[in-house]
This record gives sequence, structure tokens and C-alpha cells, in this order.
Amino acid sequence: MSEWHDVGSAGDLDERGLLLARIGGREIGVLRDSATGTVHAVRNRCPHHGAPLCLGTVRDRLHGRPAQYVAGGGRVLHCPWHGWEFELGSGRCPDDERMRVAVYPVKIESGRVLIDA
Amino acid sequence: MIDCDIHVQIGDREQFLRFVEPGQRDWFREQGALLGTPGYTWVHPTGFMRAELEPGSGGMPASTPDLVRRELLDPYGVDLGLLTADDGIAVSLMASPYRAAAYARAHNDWLRDCWLDADPRLRGTIVVPAQDPLAAAEEINRVATDARFAAVLLCGGSERPYGDPRYLPVFNAAAEHGLPVAIHSGAEGLGISTSSGGAGMPSFYVEWHTLGSACSIMSHLVSLICHGTFERLPGLRVVLMEGGLGWLPGVLWRLDTNWRGLRSEVPWLERRPSEILREHIRFTTQPLEHTDGNDGLLFEMLEAVGAPGILCFASDYPHWDFDEPRQMIRRLPEAWRETVMHDNAAELFASRFGPVPM
Repeated sequence: MSEWHDVGSAGDLDERGLLLARIGGREIGVLRDSATGTVHAVRNRCPHHGAPLCLGTVRDRLHGRPAQYVAGGGRVLHCPWHGWEFELGSGRCPDDERMRVAVYPVKIESGRVLIDA
Repeated sequence: MIDCDIHVQIGDREQFLRFVEPGQRDWFREQGALLGTPGYTWVHPTGFMRAELEPGSGGMPASTPDLVRRELLDPYGVDLGLLTADDGIAVSLMASPYRAAAYARAHNDWLRDCWLDADPRLRGTIVVPAQDPLAAAEEINRVATDARFAAVLLCGGSERPYGDPRYLPVFNAAAEHGLPVAIHSGAEGLGISTSSGGAGMPSFYVEWHTLGSACSIMSHLVSLICHGTFERLPGLRVVLMEGGLGWLPGVLWRLDTNWRGLRSEVPWLERRPSEILREHIRFTTQPLEHTDGNDGLLFEMLEAVGAPGILCFASDYPHWDFDEPRQMIRRLPEAWRETVMHDNAAELFASRFGPVPM
């Protein structure tokens, strides 16, 4: 059964860009996307090879016609090991339908970061 | 049965030279047997041609339509045969693009008049000077009006892999005419091409034949996909010839894996490379690797990347490493036979071949 967990202060999240918490045996990271200001909670384990996914970088997914590099394909979390991309909102890997990372509801209340996991 | 790789030979050089424009004829005559195309550094130790074939015009096997009829088309029941240049495949590697363009024009006219007119079962491939892509496109436009030409022929040896945008005029012209582009291994490391295999020049023909021809085909395959050639030209089909097949699953798995991690370099690829391949690329079968009793394993691996739908039979007559059609039929899994020996090529070249009997 899910419940809201306090994983740290909003101030620490702003300062470090990332909070890590262990809940029910799973490590979950809370990231602030510095470009959009949105906050996301993502399981810190890449489904591909088990990398600490939340230590990767948040980027724009690129698209475009050949020879064009167009931003705007959505914000993705780029795994630090093999570079696989996961959509921040859904946890879906757009390049492999069999791969998905768990994402969780997150909110900030009274200066505390809460995730529903 | 459709044979997608028949190497007809220029036996009578004076007959060929009649198709060269007068102002360049003497130059080509003075170049000797290869007519100015670059020669192999690694000579086959016992000869490039099957030794038992009847010498024809100029002492060359497969140098007249009658020989091809008697030695291949009639005995094996070939319904359609695609003629691929032999030495002429290396025209793209001649130093002079102007000589190359003249050679290509002559080869295409020679093929039309001396071969395609001689037997209704024969179809042509268009030789082009790829070192001058605009001239190559012009030649495609000139020749493609004859529906008996079924593909554009490019050489495995090249200056850059063919996904490079400099070659787009060639692929554009082919696509506009509904012609598949055949890339046939050969001449890697010759003339103005880069070295074969990526590690420098090999010492022996056995090395070149193992790696050079396969590595160039791998390079073109990966390059065409990564540059988004098929996103630019959704109607384009490419057939990769004589580069082997055993490596294909490994290269595709590797490419798919790398695409997932490195897609931001080629963000126009919205689909896995292996999916693009299944839609746009075909392979000829010869030389199908001898597997030391592991044919089942080879076919299982090929099935994982789209076989039998991606394979078209080729004999490579009259070369020394000919795949005998009856032997090939016996070797293929029963469920693959019609698909590989006939259906895939009939579909690939449908707009040019028309209906082909089984």
C-alpha cells in the first residue's frame, strides 16, 4: 500500500538537485529538472543494467529530419552507464518498449519533499 | 528462379570500345585488359573464374550470351538473371571522374545492346561514376528509361561510406525511378578507395576475400541507416551483394544497442536500425558461409534478423566461389526455398521485372 514518505527538505533538493531515499528496499531519487523547475521521483536503478539511474543527466530528447538536431522531444533522464533514455514523466524508455523505470508521485509541502511509494 | 548476381565479362574489348565516345576510345584501348579500372593488389592464386568453364570471346568465360544461356540459364532454369558488372564495378574508383563517366556510359550501352537484347531473361544493373555523384545521377536518368535495367550498381570499395550526403544525388535518382541500389562488394582498397577492413592493407587475397568484401558491406549498411537515408527517401530499397551473412546478426544487435545509447547523435532515427533494415534492405545469398555442420545455427541467427524475408538468391556465376543453385535449394530450410530463390527478388524488382514465373 502506498503512502507519502518524507525524503528531505526542499532546500537540500534545490541545493543538490537530487535527494536519495531508501523506501521498502528500493532506492528512489528525487530530481529537480533545472531547465523546467519540475520535480520527479524515479527509482534509482536502470532496468537495463542496474546503474544508479538518478545520477545521470536530464536532457531534451532530440528529434528531427536527417541532418537536423531539434530539441523538444520531451525531457528525458539519460542513464550514466550506457546512455539509455527514460521519459521523466512516465518512466518509459522510448527506444525499447520492454524497458521502463518506476516513477512516483512527488510533492513539496511546508518545505518538505514527499513521495508516494 | 531469379539469380541476382551474374558477372558477365568483357571478352571482346574492341566490341566494348565501340561504345566509348570517340575522343576517349584510344585512352581506354591503351589501358590494357582492365580498360582503366583499378586492378587488384591481391591476385587470386588460381584465378577468379571457375576453371572448367568454356573460354569464350577473348578467352574469357561468361563473355557471350550464348555461354551464359548454356552454362547457367538453361541448365538451372533461371527465369530472370541480374547482370552485374565485373571489372566495371570499380569504375567509381578510377582517379578521373571523366574517364569513369565515359566507362560507365559505355558499359551500360554495351550491356543493353550486347546482352539485354540477346535474351529476354537478362536484366541489367546501371554502372555509375559514384566519385562524381551528379554525373552518376545523370547517367541513371539517361539509362533508367529502359525498363530492363533493374537496379543501380555501386561498388563496395568507396571513398566514404554511402550514407555520406555527397552520395544523395545517386540515391535520389535511383529512388525517383523506383530502382533499388545494389551495393556489390569488391575493389576495396583499390584505386581511390580507402583501405579494406579498417586496419590497413591485408597481405593476401584470402584475407581480402574474408574481410574486405564483408567489412565494406557492413560499413555501407551502418552508414546508410545512421545518416537517415531511408528517412529522406522512404521509397528507397538497397540490396547488399556478396558481403557474407554470418556477421549480420552481430552487427545489427550491436547497432541496435548503440542506437539506444547514442541516439542523440542521429536523432532522426525514430526506429531501431534493425526495423529500418527489414523494410528497406535485402541481401544476396552468395557466398553463404560454409558452417562446418552448423547450418541450423546460421539459419536460426539469420531468422532473428528477418530471414528469409531479407534474402535473395545469387549464384555469382562465373566466379570461382559460385553457389550452385540446386545445392543452395537443398541447403536452405524447406520453408525458405521459394522465398529466397524467387519471391523476395520478384518483389524487390517488381516494378522492373513485372510478373516472374515461379
